Amino acid sequence: MRLSIEELERRMDDLRADMRRAAAAGHSDLVRDLRVELRGLEGEWDKALAGLARERPARTAGPSGPTPAASLLPLREQVHHALTLLTVPAAPRLIVAVHQAFFGASIPNARLTSLRRDEEKSFRSAPFARPYYLCPALTADRLAPSRGLLSVSTWPLVDRLVGPLSPRVHFLVSAIKIAEAIERAPEYVPEAVRLLARFAANIPGGGDGREPGTVASAARAELVIHEETDRIAREKAAKRTQRLTDVQRLFGVRLEAVSLVEDAG
Amino acid sequence: MTDVEERLRRIRGGGEGKRHNARTISALTSNPGCTRRAVADLAGVDKLALSRHVGFPGQFGQSPFAITRGQQFEAQVKADGCAELITLLREHLMLSLPEVSYEDLNDVGGNTDNRLRHLETRNKLGRRDEPGTLFDHPMLTLDVAGRQVFLEPDLIAFQVKGKFHIVEIKSFAVIDGQADGAKVAAAAIQSAVYVLALRDLVTAQGMSPDDVSHNVILVTPKDFSNRPMVTFVDVRKQLTVLRRQLSRLTRVEELLDLVPDGLSLSLDNDPHDVTFDLGSIEARYMPQCLNTCELARFCRHEAQGSTYAMGRTVTEELGGVQTVTDVLDLARGVLPPTPEQAEAAALLRLAWSIRRESLGNAA
Amino acid sequence: MTTLTSVARVEAYALGRAVPIATRRHLQVSDRPLVFVPLGMAGEANAPLACLVGDTPASPTLLVVPQPRNRDLRFAFAAQLADVVLSYVDSFTTAMDLVKDKAVFTDAPQLVVANPAAVEFTRLLGRSTRFRRADGPYPVDPAVPLLGRWLTWFADATERPGSSVTIALTDALAQIWATGQSALEDANLAALMGWIEPWDGLTGQQAAAQAEDPALWPPAGPATDPDFDERVLAGLIKSYDLASDGDERTRAEATIAAALRSQLEPTWRLMWRAVELLRSVEPASTVERRWLRDRQTFTTQVEYWRDGGAPQPRVDHAVRAAQRLAWLERDLDEFTVERALDDPLAMAEYRLSGEAFVGRVISVDATRVDTSGKRRKPRPLVVLATRDPVRLEPGTTVRSAARPGQDCRVISVAPLPAAPAEPANGAAPDVFVPMAVTLELVSGMGRALTPAPGSVPEVDDELCYSALVTNAGVQPKFPSREETPWTHGGPPVSPEVDLPTVDDAVEDWS
Repeated sequence: MRLSIEELERRMDDLRADMRRAAAAGHSDLVRDLRVELRGLEGEWDKALAGLARERPARTAGPSGPTPAASLLPLREQVHHALTLLTVPAAPRLIVAVHQAFFGASIPNARLTSLRRDEEKSFRSAPFARPYYLCPALTADRLAPSRGLLSVSTWPLVDRLVGPLSPRVHFLVSAIKIAEAIERAPEYVPEAVRLLARFAANIPGGGDGREPGTVASAARAELVIHEETDRIAREKAAKRTQRLTDVQRLFGVRLEAVSLVEDAG
Repeated sequence: MTDVEERLRRIRGGGEGKRHNARTISALTSNPGCTRRAVADLAGVDKLALSRHVGFPGQFGQSPFAITRGQQFEAQVKADGCAELITLLREHLMLSLPEVSYEDLNDVGGNTDNRLRHLETRNKLGRRDEPGTLFDHPMLTLDVAGRQVFLEPDLIAFQVKGKFHIVEIKSFAVIDGQADGAKVAAAAIQSAVYVLALRDLVTAQGMSPDDVSHNVILVTPKDFSNRPMVTFVDVRKQLTVLRRQLSRLTRVEELLDLVPDGLSLSLDNDPHDVTFDLGSIEARYMPQCLNTCELARFCRHEAQGSTYAMGRTVTEELGGVQTVTDVLDLARGVLPPTPEQAEAAALLRLAWSIRRESLGNAA
Repeated sequence: MTTLTSVARVEAYALGRAVPIATRRHLQVSDRPLVFVPLGMAGEANAPLACLVGDTPASPTLLVVPQPRNRDLRFAFAAQLADVVLSYVDSFTTAMDLVKDKAVFTDAPQLVVANPAAVEFTRLLGRSTRFRRADGPYPVDPAVPLLGRWLTWFADATERPGSSVTIALTDALAQIWATGQSALEDANLAALMGWIEPWDGLTGQQAAAQAEDPALWPPAGPATDPDFDERVLAGLIKSYDLASDGDERTRAEATIAAALRSQLEPTWRLMWRAVELLRSVEPASTVERRWLRDRQTFTTQVEYWRDGGAPQPRVDHAVRAAQRLAWLERDLDEFTVERALDDPLAMAEYRLSGEAFVGRVISVDATRVDTSGKRRKPRPLVVLATRDPVRLEPGTTVRSAARPGQDCRVISVAPLPAAPAEPANGAAPDVFVPMAVTLELVSGMGRALTPAPGSVPEVDDELCYSALVTNAGVQPKFPSREETPWTHGGPPVSPEVDLPTVDDAVEDWS
C-alpha cells in the first residue's frame, strides 16, 4: 500500500523534529542519516503529488464502508464533515474518531493543530471569503478560544460557547448524534459501534453500546438535567459578544494584560 | 528585586530558574538535613545541568514511551469533560447526577501567567453560589521556607454534599488491587503537598481546612487495560510529616546565611570554581539520593570513604563511626577509642574478631 | 544489615574487592537452569519488548515484540516464549525417584533472572497470561495460559524461604558477598559483579562505576535505558509502524531485533558468569534436602495441573492467606536456623548477639547424677571457656551442631576467675572478657545411668552452642473456607476457583 501524501508529510515533519533534537544533542552522525532519509521521502512526496492527478484513489484497509474519495478531500472538509455530524464543538480526538468510524480515512492528529492557525490566517487575509471556517469554541466566562475544541463558524455563536456544564452536554449530544448516525447508516459500521460503546460506558443506563436506541435515550434522559442551566449560561455569555470584532467572534479574545483585580465572585 | 531574590539569582547564575514542584518539595522533606539540595531547589538551579557541569553527567532521563503513555492516559481520563472520571466518581464518591461542571484552569483567556491562574483558581474554587465540580490543572501555592511556590495538581474534585478532593492521575497500573509500593508512596506524599496547599487556599477564602479531604483520589489504569480506576489514599500520616518538616525548614534567609557570600553555581563559571562552591554547601548524602536527586553522584563521590555512603543503617550498625579508616582501626584495636567511641569500639572489636575466626574456620 | 555484614562492607571498601559473608551457598544451583532476561516497554504495566531465554549459554533464543502496544504481537511473543519455557519444564518430567513411598521427579526446573524486578516482571507476565482462553472473543494460543501458570509458579516460589526454584542473581550473590557500596547500588548486577570480579585490573569501585554507565553496560532490565529508548528505539518502532508493506515491516523488525539484542547480550553473558560463580561456592549440607522439597512441590504441581487443576487464583481468600503466612513463618525459621548451623559466618551473627558461643571445654563432670526425681538420671556438667559476649539466661536450652540430638541446659555464665592477659597490640584488653559457661547435659547419652562412651564432650573439645530452635511445634488450626470468621471478611462469595472472565481478554488499546 502506497503511503498517502498526508502520511508522507507527517513522516517528514517527524523526521525534521528528530533532526533538530539530534543536532541539539550533538549527534552529527544521526543528523546525517536522518537527512538522507528525509531526502528520500521528499522525492516520494514529489512523485505522489504528480500521481495524484492521474491515479485512482487508494483504498485504505480497515474500517468498513469507506468513502474512497474521502482520503483525498482537504483536511478541513473532513473536519467539517465530522463536526456537522456531531453538531457540537469537539476535541480533535473525537473528530478523528468520528471521521474514521463513518467516513473511512484517518486524519493525522498532528495536522489538526496547524489547522486552527491556518484557518485564522486565511480569515484574516480574506475575511468571509470561504463558506465556512473551522474555529475554536469560545469560553463563556472570557470569550477566549477554548483550548481543545473546534467548531464551525456558521453555527450560531451561542452554540459555539462553552460554559461549565457544556463539556458534559457536548458529550451527551455527541452520543446521541453518533447513535442516530449508526441507525441511519446503510451498512454495518463496526468501528462506529465501538466508538459508541465508549460513550455508553459513561452514561447511566447506556448499556454496552450495542443498541444505539438505548444509548440515545439514556443520553437524552441525563441531558434534561443539564441543558437548561447550560443554555442560560451560554445565552448570558452570548450577550457580551456584541462588541467583538469579526476576528474575535470567530477566533476568540485573548487576555493579554494582567490586571489582578479580584472577582466579586 | 529583593535581597533574597538577588542572592538566589546569583547562586543559580541568572536566568529563569526551575520551579519547585510537588516532587521536589516532598524530596526536601524526605532529606531535610541536606542544605545543598535545599539551596539548589530554592534558587531554582537546574541540578541535572549542574551535575554535568561539575563532571557527573546525569542519568535522570525519562523514557519517551513513559512520557507518552502518561500524557495519553491523562488525556483519556480528562476527555469530554472528564467523562470517565465522572462515571467513577458517581460510583465511588456518590457524586449526584447534576454535578458535572468542568472548569479548565490551564490558562486564563489564553494567558498562562502563574499568579493569574492562581487568582482565577481562588475565585473559581471560592464560589459558594455556583460551586463547580471538576477543576482541571488548578494553580495552588505553598509557603516553602518563606517563599511562595506554585503547585499544579492534575485535578480538584468538589462534591456539594462533601468536600474538595485532590485528584492525581498516574499511569502506573493497579493490578488485582495492588500496585508498586514505592510508586504509591511517592504519589501519596506528592498529593499530600497539594492537600496542604489547597487547605491554605480554602482557608484564605474563608472556608474551613477540613473542607479539603485527607483522602486523595488516585486514578490509575486498571489491571492490564487502559481503563481507569480510582483508589482512595489516606494521606494523614504524610500530612503530619510534611507539616512538621516544612515548619522546621529553615527560613530562606537563614539558609542563605549558611552559604558563603558570592557563592555561585552558574554554568558560565569554570567547572573547578563551581565544584568548589558546590562543595562548600553542606550536604547529607545517602544512597537513596541516587534515585531522587540529580546531584547524587557528585555527593557520593564526596562521601567516598565514609560509612554512610553505604547506607544510614550501615553507620548505625557500626556504632555510629563515620569513616572506613576509623572503623578498621578501632576494630583491629590499633586506634584507642575516645570515651564516646568506647561502646562502638568494643562492638567493632568483637565483631572483627568473631568474623576473622569464622572465616578461618571455613574448612 | 547487621554489624557483621557492615564490617564486611568496610573491609571490602578498603580492599577494593567484595569479601565473603558466607562460607557456603544455601541455594541449589541447577546443572541446567533456564536463564531469562526480559525487557519491558517503559510506562506500561507489563508490555514485553524482548527477551533472551535459554538453558545453554551458547545458544539463547531471542524473542522480540516490534510494537509492544500491538496486542497480537504481544501474544505471539507469549506463544513463542511458551514454546521455550514449557519444553524446558517438560524435560524435567521424564524421570522419577521413590522417596518415602512417593514418586518424585529426580530434578526440578530452575529459573534464573537478574534481579527482583525481573521476578516481578515474570509474576506480572504470568498474571497477564494465565487467565487467557484459547477460544472466545480474544483467543490466544493454548500454550499461553499454561505458560502463565508456570511463570506465576516460578515467581511465587521466591516467597518460600529456602526455595531455589527461582534465583534472582543480585539477591543470591549479595547473600554470599559484601561489596564496598550500598545495598541499593548492589541491585545493579553489573556493578555487583564488578565488585566481586573486577575486570581489566580495575578495583571494585572502578569497575562498579563503569557498570553504572548504560552506554558501556546496558541495564540488566526489565527497565530499558531511557536514553536508548529516546535515541534509538523510539525511532525504530516508529519506522515499524509506518512500514508500508510486508518487506519493509520485516526489515524494520530485524533492525529492532538487532538493537535489542545488543542491549541484552552483555547481561546474558554476565548472568551465566554469575551462575558459574555461585556454582563454585561450596553448598551447605542442607541444600540437597531443601531441593528435595522443591522437587516435591514441582511434582505436586505438575500432577495437579495434569489432573485438570485450575490456575492460581488472583487473590488469596482469608483462610488461605493466613495458612500461607503460617507456613512462610515456619519455613523462614527453619531456613534461618539451618543456615546458621551450616555456616560459621551465619552463626557468627548469633555469637555477636549473645545467643550462641564458641568455647573450649575446660572441665567435665561425667558422673554427675540427678537424684531428685523418681528415677535417677545422668546429668553431666560441662564447663566451657569463651570470649564471646554470651547473653544466655540460665535455664535456656542449647544445642551444638556437632552433637545432634543432645540438649543441654545453661546452668551459669560467669567471668573466668584467673583470666590470662590477652596478647595486646597496644589495645585495651578488657573488651574480650573470658567467660565460663556451665552446661548440664540433659539428653543424648543413651539409656543407662552412665553416659554412653563418646556421648559427653571431653576437655579441650572446641564446640559451638546456640539457643536456636525451630518452631516445629503445633500448627495453629485454621477454620475451613466456609467458616471464615466475620473479622476476616466472612466466607468468600466467589467460587473456589478463579475462572477466566471476559474482562481479562477485553482490552482498550488506544
